[in-house]
Amino acid sequence: MADQQFNPSILGFLCNWCCYAAADAAGVSRFQYPPSMRTVRVMCTGRIDPAFVLRAFVEGADGIFSGG
Amino acid sequence: MGKAMNHREGSVMILGGGIAGIQAALDLTELGFYVYLVEKSPAVGGVMAQLDKTFPTNDCSL
Amino acid sequence: MLTNADFLALEGTAGNFTATINLRPRYIDADACTACGLCTQYCPKHHVDPYNEGLAITRPIHIDYAQAVPATYYIDPSSCLFLQHETCQICVPVCQSHAINFKQQPEERKLNIGAVILSPGFGKIDPKTLAKFSYGKHPDVVTSFEYERMTTASGPFMGEVKCFSDGRHPKRMAFIQCVGSRDIGCNNGYCSSVCCMYAIKEALVTKEHDPEVDITIYYMDIRTQGKDFDAARERAEAIGVKFVRAKVADVTPWENHLQLTYATLDGQHKFEPFDLVVLSVGLESPKDAQKIADITKIDLNKYDFCATDSFNPLQTSQQGIVVAGAFQGPKDIPESVTQSSAAASLAAASLKAVRGKGVEMKIYPEEQVVAADDEVRIGVFVCHCGINISSVVDCAAVANYAGDMKNVTFYTENLYSCSQDAQEVIKKKIKEHKLNRVVIAACSPRTHEPLFQETLRDAGLNRNLFEMVNIRDQCSWVHAGEPELATIKSKDLVRMAVAKARLIQPLPEQTVPVTAKALVIGAGVAGMTAALNLAEQGFDSVLIEKGDGIGGNLQNLHYTLAGDAVQSHLKTLVDKVKQSKKVDVLCNAELVQTAGFIGNFASVIASGKGKARVEQTVDHGVIIVATGGREHRPDKYLLGKSKKVVTQQELEKQLAGKAKTRAPGSIVMIQCAGSRGDDLNYCSKVCCNHALKNILKVKEINPDSQIVVLYRDMRTYGFAEDAYLEARKMGVVFIPYEVDLKPEVTEKGAKVQVRFFDSIMQEEVTMSPDLVALSVGIVPDDTDTLSKLLKLPVTANKFFLEAHVKLRPVELSVSGVYVCGLAHGPKPVDETIVQAQAAAAKAAIPLVKGYVKVDPIVSSVEQDKCIGCGLCVSLCPYGAIVMQKVDGKRKAETISASCKACGICAAHCPTFAISMGGFTNEQINSQIEAFGATGDR
Repeated sequence: MADQQFNPSILGFLCNWCCYAAADAAGVSRFQYPPSMRTVRVMCTGRIDPAFVLRAFVEGADGIFSGG
Repeated sequence: MGKAMNHREGSVMILGGGIAGIQAALDLTELGFYVYLVEKSPAVGGVMAQLDKTFPTNDCSL
Repeated sequence: MLTNADFLALEGTAGNFTATINLRPRYIDADACTACGLCTQYCPKHHVDPYNEGLAITRPIHIDYAQAVPATYYIDPSSCLFLQHETCQICVPVCQSHAINFKQQPEERKLNIGAVILSPGFGKIDPKTLAKFSYGKHPDVVTSFEYERMTTASGPFMGEVKCFSDGRHPKRMAFIQCVGSRDIGCNNGYCSSVCCMYAIKEALVTKEHDPEVDITIYYMDIRTQGKDFDAARERAEAIGVKFVRAKVADVTPWENHLQLTYATLDGQHKFEPFDLVVLSVGLESPKDAQKIADITKIDLNKYDFCATDSFNPLQTSQQGIVVAGAFQGPKDIPESVTQSSAAASLAAASLKAVRGKGVEMKIYPEEQVVAADDEVRIGVFVCHCGINISSVVDCAAVANYAGDMKNVTFYTENLYSCSQDAQEVIKKKIKEHKLNRVVIAACSPRTHEPLFQETLRDAGLNRNLFEMVNIRDQCSWVHAGEPELATIKSKDLVRMAVAKARLIQPLPEQTVPVTAKALVIGAGVAGMTAALNLAEQGFDSVLIEKGDGIGGNLQNLHYTLAGDAVQSHLKTLVDKVKQSKKVDVLCNAELVQTAGFIGNFASVIASGKGKARVEQTVDHGVIIVATGGREHRPDKYLLGKSKKVVTQQELEKQLAGKAKTRAPGSIVMIQCAGSRGDDLNYCSKVCCNHALKNILKVKEINPDSQIVVLYRDMRTYGFAEDAYLEARKMGVVFIPYEVDLKPEVTEKGAKVQVRFFDSIMQEEVTMSPDLVALSVGIVPDDTDTLSKLLKLPVTANKFFLEAHVKLRPVELSVSGVYVCGLAHGPKPVDETIVQAQAAAAKAAIPLVKGYVKVDPIVSSVEQDKCIGCGLCVSLCPYGAIVMQKVDGKRKAETISASCKACGICAAHCPTFAISMGGFTNEQINSQIEAFGATGDR
């Protein structure tokens, strides 16, 4: 294990108006970033129930990204 | 040569289907008018459809 | 929509015109063509592709680009073998849908119309003008339009920039500005107003492709006068784009390279080698301008653009005919868009009496009932986006993967899911496979969700039975070097979307009625124009003004650059407002409080002075913000300390007066006094023209007056360039200064002294003029209060921030609130008037409809579960939840029209009584669960 690179599995909750837009902008400007995050679009990070975060850890997430 | 007469009350003709013509057409439709958008080329869009990005935000133009 | 159409004749008068249109044949039946592209593949003849500026070869039978509207192919008769030589006809049997029809004939149509909007765009500069830069002689000299196609990812070179001579990547590139603009040699004395911006954009895009490229822009003045445009220039400079103020004499081929000869300000001639030279060509009047003028009898100006005046910027010389876009004068996209909306409002006002008579509402098929326990049948469509997605992500693998998932009844791939033909395919498949959920893996829902939802409605499905997966912006574009991992990520995202799709339910479409009245804040030229335009369209407004009287900044102006008398126009405008029964004016008034939402605002307005001050509540449906701006007074250059130092506005007042000495014998003008990184971080757009206006007036009164203008870039864009030339011909001296070497103004006894570095003579100069006039720039009037009151965002420079700088330039982020005039950004009076008319057009839309649609993604409270704790009410940032007594118990309830879908209420409700439409707990949990289920990909 020690010689293997740590490749985290990250779940991201992205606000439609800012962070999701920023992810679009990153795409339009072709910024390259590691493909280790999966995303859930929400209309606002206010929607994120703490239970969602706990649930994601249960499902095997190594980290949670909340962008709003 | 075929001939047809179009008669609609409250209609506006817009000459030129570039970004200006398209926007005027959309607004007029929403304001309750029938629009004839007359464009000399085979598709609407004008020059903006040829652009890559737009200044200064570099948004996609299409 | 009538494409391939020529405008032949116009008869009649305003309100009742008859236009004759000739429809040229496409030789393809638009209803039958599926835009499959087989015909283009089989067509044997080459055809130079004008859409790609001649940089690519297509076939006579083709479509310009995949997203073209209408999505019908056409045959260009100029090169078709059959239409030229009656041979070939290979395409006829190739077409599976029998769409090709060589028997099509031109069709003449007569249109009965009430008004005409002319928006024919602009023409291109004659290649003869470009010949002195070796254009046409050396393949590596290209126009900016050609270069635009070269950098486009979907263009003929897929965005790869190469020299045409030998295919190498250019290491050194030059942009030459003002090619075919500001050039009396080709009779285009005006400035094209857009070239500086697109050159900077193209330079930035090039640097993005290859940061090592050395780029130099040769210019006379950089004219980035638009809102926040200077920042882009600074960004370009910061990443190493070089700006050289010089006149390029010629470009000489030098084997595979090019040599530029140019003269700098100090009179030196220099040479520089380049690999690629881009000519920033200007915009000309459209080629058929004269023909349009002949048909419509409108007047053209001396450059063959449509003639208009400052106070009626879109009105042509013929009643019932208005103009919009570049035909009115060269301009950029946001200004064209603004003019179009304004032109729409003018046409709408002139045809008020027949509004709504000619339109048919779009009728959607009846919505299919999808019950909660119906079998879930999901269709998955994976988009290639041309090669934008498919060059990285294995789209077939993603589609096949989706096909194996539970409830997925149908799956396929599309070349462009957004193209019209793909939309038809989607509709067909929904019906064929009885799909009741649709998942599209393509680009961003932020841009394309509405389009696909429309497709669902057309197919009889509730538009919320839809989920989008962003495998372009979030996969192919950002993981271009890791195709396998990008494909895995795409599969994961599709799996999560399908999981959510299983649980999505139809959401009801709601509408709320609109109070057909506007509140216009600020009674300057912007506010007055907007209110009057609304009145002409038939709507009431309340116009509130914080000052004693209406009129705004126009009260301080006396004449325009074009020579129009401002005060007489202002008087007409003020009288019209006062006489209008539809405009209610309140002076010494301010907005105290506003509640509600688009269509249903209630505002408390305080008005009157002292004891007469009263508060009243006004119900209205929309708000137009026209709070204006004022002259900035910098605390420098002895302004306010010496009587000999005045602002341009003060000079204008003096010149409009009667004093004998009003036009002094020697004047030094200092531009950007306070603007562009001095006190203010931006260009105030109007000051250069303001200076010129005063210069011409001084010269008119006192032709012997000696005037020196110290400037950074003279931004006399558009036709104002003529005045700049005229001033120079009169002997006015213009000397540029560098930002780190600003002029100094000192007092010596009764005299003022100006000391500056003369960049032409290369020496320091001291002058003692009779007067120093400062071009001081514009600041917005207090935007903070209104910004807080109405929750409106402002820019770093305290101007209101529009919803989209290009495409929604007069709308603000809060629905039902619009902006115009100086509150949006510095601009001259003609642009202010256009913007006010545009704001009135946008504001009139909900007023005309009489209702607004509420987005279905809103919260809803399950009243059985609600315990009435009120936590949601205290947390909701929009005041969209209220407590009500239901059977004697406190229960929460959502005001749907105010709800912004943030979901804070749903996330905090202790009893899970609140649900968000389209984002329920179950749906999000299913996505999280699917996120974890990586085993089955």
